[in-house]
Amino acid sequence: MKDSRVLAYINLYAILGNIPILCELVPEAADTIRGEKVRLGISVKGGPSATLCFEDGKCRVEDGADNCDIKLPFASPEKFNGMIDGTVQPFPSKGFTKLGFLTKKFTKLTDILTKYLKASESDLQNPDFFRTSTLIMLHLIVEAAARIGNEDKVGKVSASNFEDGITAVMIGNYCVGIEGKGGKLKAIHTNPPKYTSSMSFESIELARNIFDGKVNSVAAVGLGQVRIGGFISQVDNLNRILDRVSYYLV
Amino acid sequence: MREINRYDKSREYYERASKVIPSGVYGHQGPAEGCFVPVEAFPFFSEKAQGSYFWDVDGNRFIDYMCAYGPNILGYNDPDVDAAAAEQRKKGDCITAPSTKMIEFAELMVDTVASADWAFFAKNGNDVTTLSIMAARAYTKRKKIVFFKGYYHGVSPWTQKLDYPGIIEEDVCNNIYIPWNDSDALGEVFDKYKGEIAAVISQPYMHGNFKDNVLPAGGFWQRVRKLCDDNDTVLIIDDVRAGFRLDIAGSDHYFGFEADMICFCKALANGYNVSALCGKDFLKNTISGMTFTGSYWLSAVPFAAGIACVTKMREMDIAKVLDEKGKKLRDGLVGAAKSHGFDLRVTGAPSLFYLRIADDPTLSLHQRWVAECVKRGVYFTNHHNHFINAALSDEDIAETVQVANEAFEVVKKN
Repeated sequence: MKDSRVLAYINLYAILGNIPILCELVPEAADTIRGEKVRLGISVKGGPSATLCFEDGKCRVEDGADNCDIKLPFASPEKFNGMIDGTVQPFPSKGFTKLGFLTKKFTKLTDILTKYLKASESDLQNPDFFRTSTLIMLHLIVEAAARIGNEDKVGKVSASNFEDGITAVMIGNYCVGIEGKGGKLKAIHTNPPKYTSSMSFESIELARNIFDGKVNSVAAVGLGQVRIGGFISQVDNLNRILDRVSYYLV
Repeated sequence: MREINRYDKSREYYERASKVIPSGVYGHQGPAEGCFVPVEAFPFFSEKAQGSYFWDVDGNRFIDYMCAYGPNILGYNDPDVDAAAAEQRKKGDCITAPSTKMIEFAELMVDTVASADWAFFAKNGNDVTTLSIMAARAYTKRKKIVFFKGYYHGVSPWTQKLDYPGIIEEDVCNNIYIPWNDSDALGEVFDKYKGEIAAVISQPYMHGNFKDNVLPAGGFWQRVRKLCDDNDTVLIIDDVRAGFRLDIAGSDHYFGFEADMICFCKALANGYNVSALCGKDFLKNTISGMTFTGSYWLSAVPFAAGIACVTKMREMDIAKVLDEKGKKLRDGLVGAAKSHGFDLRVTGAPSLFYLRIADDPTLSLHQRWVAECVKRGVYFTNHHNHFINAALSDEDIAETVQVANEAFEVVKKN
């Protein structure tokens, strides 16, 4: 059974937390918030709290929701997850004068994010869209993996066996990472300068097929489509967590 | 410099296999779990084997230091074992009533293995480790099992971890994991779970993957034995991997203690498919009452092969032979590494040694060196212990060291 608290961490840090990446990769998203300077805090009782900091076409995520312009409090992880599903309407506790940002620009941003994360077959026919959508998924997956490793009961077992160091996850020259330290995981959304192990996808198409569950990464290793190297036990443990990622994101 | 292997046919077969077999080659002999890094350096399928060699489907010959992951202890196609098996095959193998070869084999095991009062046969190591756990639970009427971290006891759900695909919490909720060589930790869990621990199960020393292998600390096993005795807990030794390569009488005998049950497979019949659980008399009645069997477990051919194999191992003092060969190889490899400025660590027993180049903590350098060796016909694996067999000659060892030298030279240049 999915743990709603873990799902809330994924929804906040991996789904909404993907907006900074979206703004980097999709000009339309950056344009939507250009000229804006707003801090949107989300606080989930019994779950995570973070602030999305928008400033002139860029966005970053900070832990905690005390220092914000607009605050969306949620009484439980289930309520917050309901907002992500579109079944719960959020009510801000702070920032009524900036509600326009929330209802217009932020909503537009999340619509763009949805377009890339739940891409239609016709959109995916466009190679540029395909690439961007897949890279956004890559960021989502490593962030979700870190959160599951730190918060999920089963994921914690894998994280506890993840030796200290960084696993680089590569699609061609595009590289992100996941760092383990003392059994805690952290997603790295930039190219890690050094790493102790690696998992590299032969092509963006293959990466997409693996992310979509159409190809198994173990089978792809034998065909040389996925390359693993370095401290492979890290990759092994990351793979176990990735199994949980697909479980939570279905 | 040697010719570099090509694996065109292996690749073709693998692609064909991938269409009808999940992951092409699954498990430890497959490219993912077997850590083939890079995959291009390794063969996927064999054509034949003889002595200390196997040939792949492309005709490349390998000096084989994996020995089918342990079963090849006397040399592939050992004439004595094969003759005994062939003789029995003429008479029958899988028959409605078992052959008396089963009795002969059990008698031989009891006579050979120091802690054995009886023997029970199955097919794989996993069969007998599972039986041992069930028997310990049946005997003690307790649930909990203590494992040493880094263990491998097979693939049944109880042996796996909570984060493995297909495993549910109930499969592993009675497992207790403690660090290897930490008898204090064992004492603590006995205090914490007073009267709840059915068994302690362990390999004779820590030969887990990805890490240097670790022998037991002085007095460790004697302390474990006493703690088990004091707490009426069954002590199980999983000798599936190390069995007969340390001591023909069992690895518990080698380390100076007696297990209550000891599990064998791999080297038991030089590649014929049979495993054995041996144990102390006080557990015989418990085992007698258990429902545990399989379609091929009482087949006679593997029993005949096992008898011939154990007999031959006894006669030749197998552990001594393999230890000497392992030491020769170890010295040669370490010397080759040193001459190129590398720090090659060889850990575990010489007869089932583990390799790691310590100069690069990411192990990438080690993987490159292993790949260069394999491409030149010396079959090492990256992160699993290796195995010595009795057919390995001094010439094989010299050739291996020569290849290792070439491989060091290549990785040093690049």
